[in-house]
Amino acid sequence: MSVVNYDFRNEVLKHNASLSYCYQCSTCSGGCPVALLTNGKYNPRKIIEEAILGLKDKLVESQDPNPWLCSTCQKCVELCPQKVELTEIFTLIKNLCFEEQKYPEAFYSQGKAVYDTGVAIPYSNSIVARRKKLGLPEIKIASVEEIQTLMKETNFEKNILRGNE
Amino acid sequence: MAYDLFLGCVIPARLPYLEVSSRKVFKKLGIELRDVDGFSCCPDPTGIELIDHETWLALGARNLSLCNNNGGVISFCSGCVETLKGVNYFINKDVDAKQKVNKYLKKIGKKYEGKTEVKHFAQVLYENLEKVKENIEKPLEGFKVAIHYGCHYLRPSEVIQWDDPFEPVTLDEIVRTLGAESIQYELKMECCGNPLDKSDRDLSLQMIDNKLKAIYEAGANCVVVVCPACYQQFEFNQRELNKKNNSEYNIPIFYLSELMALSFGFKPEELGFNFHRIKPKGLFESIGFNV
Repeated sequence: MSVVNYDFRNEVLKHNASLSYCYQCSTCSGGCPVALLTNGKYNPRKIIEEAILGLKDKLVESQDPNPWLCSTCQKCVELCPQKVELTEIFTLIKNLCFEEQKYPEAFYSQGKAVYDTGVAIPYSNSIVARRKKLGLPEIKIASVEEIQTLMKETNFEKNILRGNE
Repeated sequence: MAYDLFLGCVIPARLPYLEVSSRKVFKKLGIELRDVDGFSCCPDPTGIELIDHETWLALGARNLSLCNNNGGVISFCSGCVETLKGVNYFINKDVDAKQKVNKYLKKIGKKYEGKTEVKHFAQVLYENLEKVKENIEKPLEGFKVAIHYGCHYLRPSEVIQWDDPFEPVTLDEIVRTLGAESIQYELKMECCGNPLDKSDRDLSLQMIDNKLKAIYEAGANCVVVVCPACYQQFEFNQRELNKKNNSEYNIPIFYLSELMALSFGFKPEELGFNFHRIKPKGLFESIGFNV
């Protein structure tokens, strides 16, 4: 049994009021390449429906449908006749999944790499050598201290990284 | 006109040869690109943004705060462009977000007003198509190009504000200007599937498999892309798909800048084509393109 979570519903609505414009026409799912490939197992309309109803246990706990299967192609947003900002709403749901430690591992690795080095792909010695050989300039990336200061301010370190250690 | 250059992570740290051709093309066109010290990850609109939107905004605004506002900032990566344009979009539409971000930036002695113009490198090339024409030494005759626009070059259109989100024309016009043929194929506007690699490898492979099938069926002899994520998805997975499904994919993947550099008369060895997993040499020979 799914339980309506009004706090959750209000939080999503507060962040993005366009949610309330949805009348469940399914244009989003009709244009979604992942819905097509998974025979509707991934289904953007259903995610929006569950958000409208405030079914946090479905969206965050059991992840049915799995919001991480969105390829971020942004077709649904373009197609929606009601201008529902679907991908912004999906981003919010995924942010909430992250706070509750429900996410594919690769996302954590990227967040940690950026926190530790400032970039998603740190420069290996062989790449530095290859760049030199190709005649490319040396890259001076961000001060890690500045990046970490910002990521502490936004609570990234506290909410996202700490919970995983 | 001078632009600040935002390189991002994937091209400079994994595919530096794509940076080589891109820099060469801009230099030849007389468009100055200025390197800027101190950029971080953009951050990834298919990664960090999905983990924590506010962190994505703050780091993106920090990057934009480092730009000097020449002609704005350009990137060779569609993901970086989407992030930087997206940060501008959110900061300019939401006063609270702008204040919050600037409260964070103040801690590191920076601020950002949301005014730096962001452009994709292909947009700048399109805007300079006359200059491109003047520089063509070797028209790309015999190149049957399957253009892959990719998602983030176009959508969400409200953020990107460039070309049509479903029936785009800019890359087709550039490719034709270079003397190549743009091959129309089923699934031309579909996603390559790269972002799904983080959550479902099989699904991601299925998406690129379908695209490659359609590209072969249409009779293209190469693919052109304008995003390093798409590039990796197309180039790095052909061998794996062949092993898995007994297919025989072996189609060269070019960055738009590589095709343009070839037409400008640059040699493959100057462009680092030896780093490609699928070498374009066979294609050049089969169509009699003299490099």
